[in-house]
Amino acid sequence: MDFTLSNEQRAWQMTARKFAEEEVRPISLERDAICDPRETFDWDIIKKGSKLGFRTMAVPKEWGGRGTDFVTQALVMAELAKGDSAISKTFSQCWKWSHLIAAVCTDEQKRRFLAPFLEDHTFLLGKGISEPGAGSDNRLPPPEDIKAGLKLRAERKGDEWVLNGEKCFIANASVGKLFFIDARTDPHAPLRQGTTMFLVPRDTPGLRIGKVFNKSGWRFYQNGEMIFENARVPHANVVGPVNGSDMKAHEAGDRTGGDLFGDLELAANALGVCEDACAMALRLAHTRKQGARVLFEQQGVQLKLNRMHLLTEALRSFVMRVAWEHDHKMHSANPGLCMNFSTDVIQEVTELNLELHAAAGVMDVRADKLVRDAIIWTHLAGDSVQRMKATRRLAKEAQRLH
Amino acid sequence: MYSLHLSPEQRDIRETVRDFVAHQVKPAALKSGRLEARERPLLIDLLDQASQLGLRTLALSEDAGGAGADALTCCIVCEELAAGDPDMAAVLTQTWTLAHVLFDRLMAPGERERFLPAFLADQRYHLAFASDEPGRDVALGIHYHRSDIADASFGTSAKRSGDSWIVTGSKTRVVNAPLAKLFAVAVTTPENVTRTVLVPRDAPGLRVETSDGSGAWQHGAPGGITLQDCQVPADHMLGPDEGAALAFELGRRMPQDLALDLGIGRAAYEAALDYAQLRVQGARRIIEHQAIGAKLADVAIRLQVARTAIWQAAWASDHPSAVEDGSLPDLPLARMAKVFASEAVYQATKDAAECFGAMGVMRDMPLQKYVHDARICLHSSEPNSDTRLRVAEAIAGYQRTAVPALAAE
Repeated sequence: MDFTLSNEQRAWQMTARKFAEEEVRPISLERDAICDPRETFDWDIIKKGSKLGFRTMAVPKEWGGRGTDFVTQALVMAELAKGDSAISKTFSQCWKWSHLIAAVCTDEQKRRFLAPFLEDHTFLLGKGISEPGAGSDNRLPPPEDIKAGLKLRAERKGDEWVLNGEKCFIANASVGKLFFIDARTDPHAPLRQGTTMFLVPRDTPGLRIGKVFNKSGWRFYQNGEMIFENARVPHANVVGPVNGSDMKAHEAGDRTGGDLFGDLELAANALGVCEDACAMALRLAHTRKQGARVLFEQQGVQLKLNRMHLLTEALRSFVMRVAWEHDHKMHSANPGLCMNFSTDVIQEVTELNLELHAAAGVMDVRADKLVRDAIIWTHLAGDSVQRMKATRRLAKEAQRLH
Repeated sequence: MYSLHLSPEQRDIRETVRDFVAHQVKPAALKSGRLEARERPLLIDLLDQASQLGLRTLALSEDAGGAGADALTCCIVCEELAAGDPDMAAVLTQTWTLAHVLFDRLMAPGERERFLPAFLADQRYHLAFASDEPGRDVALGIHYHRSDIADASFGTSAKRSGDSWIVTGSKTRVVNAPLAKLFAVAVTTPENVTRTVLVPRDAPGLRVETSDGSGAWQHGAPGGITLQDCQVPADHMLGPDEGAALAFELGRRMPQDLALDLGIGRAAYEAALDYAQLRVQGARRIIEHQAIGAKLADVAIRLQVARTAIWQAAWASDHPSAVEDGSLPDLPLARMAKVFASEAVYQATKDAAECFGAMGVMRDMPLQKYVHDARICLHSSEPNSDTRLRVAEAIAGYQRTAVPALAAE
């Protein structure tokens, strides 16, 4: 057991901490307060962060990226999230799909898409799975209904595929330049056997971005509609085999980067938010007084601070362990469990922070923002489907070991 | 005689208000442009309609021209209103509570004749109670189980000058401030006595600051008032004991605030229950899945147990003899209900929102509004950390010399 960070990991962490404090945090509340969800985004912060390597840090060195390990990525996500959870997520969303490109794209595809991604500070990535009628069904497809799940249709026409349908809640939809889109290529097969993944550039003819969703939290982060009306995608943009977009199957090789990164991602982001909440609460307890005495002297306050810190430190241990396991290519249900746990932790910790502020008569805007950001975890990381998914994975791993 | 029957009048008014909310309030309150916390103008026309239904004067005695409703009936009505629009419920609850306290109990006959006819005649005549002051320490906190309680006097002062009182100071978090035509203002006199003075809206020297809404963690129409050498006639001062009575009456009000919270939870519950019976995922309506079924059951359990506690506290305040004869335990029932209900409703709204998936956090959908509204209830009044300590003092039999700011129950 050795918890020491390498010099390189430490350097990334410090750069991220400085950037979060000096650049991200100062714009966090002002971006959150903007009413129009299309206007909350800010290209300046993306460009500044990109120049420091935060957009491309997950691209392997042999393809011109920074080639950071998962431990470094977890550290950086948490540091950036201390400044603003949604801005951190906008960067790490690019890492998620960098991992996927590295894992499953052909060299020809890598050349075509990684080069422009690395060169352009405003090149963001996204992936489209969810549709209005298909949320949980994509995560846990019911065996008794083969039609359940996404409906976006792709039909082969010569050297092209023609896509028709609609995606919703798609991350970076309104700002991304390249998307991984899951589409049904065999409508008569169950979801896992009838879906293909396509690389879809933003300027694909027939692709239109609809509304940007107006969320109560994570306001900077853009989730939008993507509408496909006879959108034409070259066959060369098919990722992996046709009818083989099973993100959860491991036949395609090591998929640790693609889907499991997402679990680590949410947990590491939550860790940063929790650290921020703990720091806010401690500062309040040491500065705010009742009578002539600081709040910290009160038992009730100490017990709340204790709860906040013990949960946050437990989450930190879990997050770093999962990151380390990723680096060592160890497969388990831990990433999913850690993500589920991060939901409980981020919500309790941010709510305790808000409670301490409100009880002291301080209606702090940031304390409220952190709670609103934390609620997002319910629907991404901690709903019952995500929890059952982690449990099923647990069972599968146990079987594998027998 | 143990009975949980509502009276025919209580059932009737519940039906009337439920109908009004379903057909008038909800369609207006749930318009997609009105679901953002910071963009929520009061539904003034509907407040007028509610007033015509007699809700503005619900708790005012029948002799004075009101409906004479008791605390339990007020809770029932408040829950129904809040299920449609908590802001509307908060405005009306404040006015009907103060109407009863001021006109039925505290005003001398002369004052009552002066103010009551105008109050009855004007549908938009609302009432406000101005107590909180910026920076005034009303927390229990370090004073728990200690007698060294904070100074209860107000920074707002009232000095006698001939036939008038001159009032100076500023008040914050005044519910109904932007609407009120009459303010009951808590002041401290030069003899260091806490009293309450009536200040009409047009009194010279009174300025009302409408809250911009962004920092307003309160339902209804909160705002602040500033009084600069504000002059009111001598008979606008309520008697010295009546200030304490006012605080006591506002304490009776606690179950009604909880009923408002409960109404928010019920709206979330009803929306989730409907949706769970329509939405199909996993090849079934989602209510048929154990995960969603158990979650909705938890929501229903929390709300029903909260309602039971709230109604019991309200009924106890309507029937003081029930504690005296041992029918009810001598416990701070309203505070106990507050801690339980505010936490239960908040959790219930979060669980209800979860049933909607990502739509549960969208600002053009009502679920995030219910979560936000329940969070306001959790944090807009005395913090539960203090309420728990007050319950602890009560069950330990701890007594401190009565201080009006603390004698709210």
